[in-house]
Amino acid sequence: MGRIDVERAPYEEYTDRQLAAIPLVILGISLAIIAGAYVMTGSPVALGFEFTGGTEIQFVAEDTSTDEIEQVLSEHDIENVRSVGLEDNRYAVQTQATGEEAEAIEQTLNEEYGNGEDVIQRVEQRSASFGGDTQGQALLGLVVAFAGMSILVALMFRTFVPSIAVVLSAFSDIMIPLALMNLLGIELTLGAVAALLMIIGYSVDSDILLNNHVLRRRGGFYDNAYAAMRTGVSMTLTSIAAMVTMAIVARVFGIPLLGDIALILIFGLAADLLNTYLLNMSLLRWYTGGDSA
Amino acid sequence: MIDVRDNWRVLMLVVLCALAAVALFGPLGPGAGGNGATDNQTQAFGDPTNLQYGLDLAGGTRVRGQLVGQTAEEVQFDTNRESEITSTIVSELQGEYNVEPVDVQTRPNSNAIELYKSPDQVPQSAFVAALNAAGLDVSEDDISVGVTDTSREQAVRVLETRIDETGLGGSSVTTTQTPSGEHFIVVEVPGADRERVEELIGSPGRVQVMLGYPNATENATEPNMEVLLEEGDFQRIPGATPASASDTINLPHVRIQLTDEAAQRFQERMVETGFTQNGVRGPQQCRWEEGEEPDPNQYCLYTVVDGNITSAAGLNPDLANTLESGNFDGGYVITTNSMEEARQLEVDLRAGALPSELRIESTSYISPSTAQIFKPLALLTAFLAWLAVSLVVYVWYRDVRVAVPMLVTAASEVFLLLGFAAAIGMALDLSHIAGLIAVIGTGLDDLIIMADEILQRRDEVKTGRVFQSRFRKAFWIIGMAAGTTIIAMSPLAVLSLGDLRGFAIVTIVGVLIGVLVTRPAYGDVLRKLMLDDVKRK
Repeated sequence: MGRIDVERAPYEEYTDRQLAAIPLVILGISLAIIAGAYVMTGSPVALGFEFTGGTEIQFVAEDTSTDEIEQVLSEHDIENVRSVGLEDNRYAVQTQATGEEAEAIEQTLNEEYGNGEDVIQRVEQRSASFGGDTQGQALLGLVVAFAGMSILVALMFRTFVPSIAVVLSAFSDIMIPLALMNLLGIELTLGAVAALLMIIGYSVDSDILLNNHVLRRRGGFYDNAYAAMRTGVSMTLTSIAAMVTMAIVARVFGIPLLGDIALILIFGLAADLLNTYLLNMSLLRWYTGGDSA
Repeated sequence: MIDVRDNWRVLMLVVLCALAAVALFGPLGPGAGGNGATDNQTQAFGDPTNLQYGLDLAGGTRVRGQLVGQTAEEVQFDTNRESEITSTIVSELQGEYNVEPVDVQTRPNSNAIELYKSPDQVPQSAFVAALNAAGLDVSEDDISVGVTDTSREQAVRVLETRIDETGLGGSSVTTTQTPSGEHFIVVEVPGADRERVEELIGSPGRVQVMLGYPNATENATEPNMEVLLEEGDFQRIPGATPASASDTINLPHVRIQLTDEAAQRFQERMVETGFTQNGVRGPQQCRWEEGEEPDPNQYCLYTVVDGNITSAAGLNPDLANTLESGNFDGGYVITTNSMEEARQLEVDLRAGALPSELRIESTSYISPSTAQIFKPLALLTAFLAWLAVSLVVYVWYRDVRVAVPMLVTAASEVFLLLGFAAAIGMALDLSHIAGLIAVIGTGLDDLIIMADEILQRRDEVKTGRVFQSRFRKAFWIIGMAAGTTIIAMSPLAVLSLGDLRGFAIVTIVGVLIGVLVTRPAYGDVLRKLMLDDVKRK
């Protein structure tokens, strides 16, 4: 059976500290970015309208551009206009307004682009207080999920260092995408929250695999670690392949929700490769004493 | 020859797939019975399955709202003091805050008193003061924002009736609760736009018939207005009728049959107030026009919806005679300006009133045409994701005998999930499709773990026992991974984060199906492969 293998990474050449340094520095930078965003805006990542309240209106308009639409809507208080979907006639406008103000925007759009027909394709509206509730709930969901995962992992391994290694790398897997969202200007949507929760699941998979191979098997540290790595990397790459496809296709077709989930998961899965095979690996090697144990 | 004992996992998968196929394509699925608008749209699209589609994929409106109100809890009072308490509270709050008797509800069974006004409309301190004035020992700590379960259940019933009345099929009215204890009512109506739905649910819809007559004792400067008929007095509502020249009433109208008790009261009051004598013709006949204040000198029967007069009518001489003679049969007619008004009135009369205003917190609308486009595109996205995964798996293993069963197993997981969705009548939304794709992802992860675990150092594997031991090891990892995924997703399944609930539920069910059914079956397939290799050597 011919099969491609992950090249045996030259772990022996580096000390535990050197290995752990890279992911820890990246985690540090990510936390700094998130903290910076929190200090400046009062929230760790820019919040989508689902959390702040407001309205998003998607509509069809022929022969126009986002600039022109902004002109058309200049009387109204709008946040942004962007083009969505495969065809070049679909746009989305976001506003903090709800209720009658938002309806006024729809009316303007219908008058301008509709010729008496309804051009509105999709409307999502949330009151500010409801958005605030949603925000609290999303945060609660993340914390509960993370705590539950940590407890389960601790019960599984019943030893301190391997459990901490898993939990720490899962934590980093969530923080790195959050920092990337800040850098790339991606807003936190409900889809992104779902993706962050999925990351907990995916991240733990490869960590459990690695810990399990190293701790519960006879044989040398490196043999076991490479076996786990071969499986783990193939898992993560397969997932990344699925998510890249989903991200591209969803963006091209202009399908909401799916694209958000996919993009954040790609960040998280990439971060997971880094954290599992540098951070978790070095902690495990330190804990077991490597091949000499 | 297939050995059932050795291959029972594969057989179970096949049987379940067959069941899923029946649920998806069979004539007995819940979708086949005709569930209103979603179904019609499904058929229009030529969808051969029993799958039901939610708003994202079928189009329509979803509105989430809260009933406005505040509740004093753990208030002890005697049942026979109910009306006294209500009237005290109303008189305390009437002037400043415009509180009416219908805004106060006593609930002796749950020791609660509700005020159907938000703290913005009536401050909690004022409510507490009014309760204290009624002799109740209550402090601000006892007041919670929101209404009782009873009121909420009543509201759900009223909303269901209203939507049913309009014939918008496939709709649902549900309640959700946030962890902080707030309750929301969620109304989903496929195929309808927002204005229609908001109009339908936004107002309490309280219909009253008020009697206005000149005040005989004073100099007739103020009209006497009294509530003559209200909810509970209407026994039967035969329906809205359009205007027709052949009919005696040449306007759109709603016919109502009053209860015997109400008919009796109606007759008595009409005669006592002199309506049947003075209101039939002459200067005191009703001549109200829309937007006017009631004229204190006229005899009128006002139709009042949510406190606003919508129409007024006098009495025709025939009916006046019937009332005078005491032969009134309880048939009552309300005329309206348009057929649309007549229908709305009919809905309000039939459904009854919401206990309080439903404050809309979020709405979401997607036009049916856009939603219909999303449906194939979302499925295509899932399919492309599966293809990409297939490619990676093939490149990775370079062995069709490992890769093909892996991909078939992953596909069967999705098939089982879709069958599950069809069987329980789950309405598929985009979030569910995202969940399906997530399941493909975690499912393949697990299959790769199994393949690597069982196929490692292959030449050592000669017996079923070795297989069993490796299978168990692989399963330990998979089980743990599944456990963490389920734990990570469970908060979403419980929290009312709207769209994400479906995502979480699909992921959790998918992981369970995977761990319990499909992944063990894949293990059987791998063993067959392995033992074949051994035999060949």
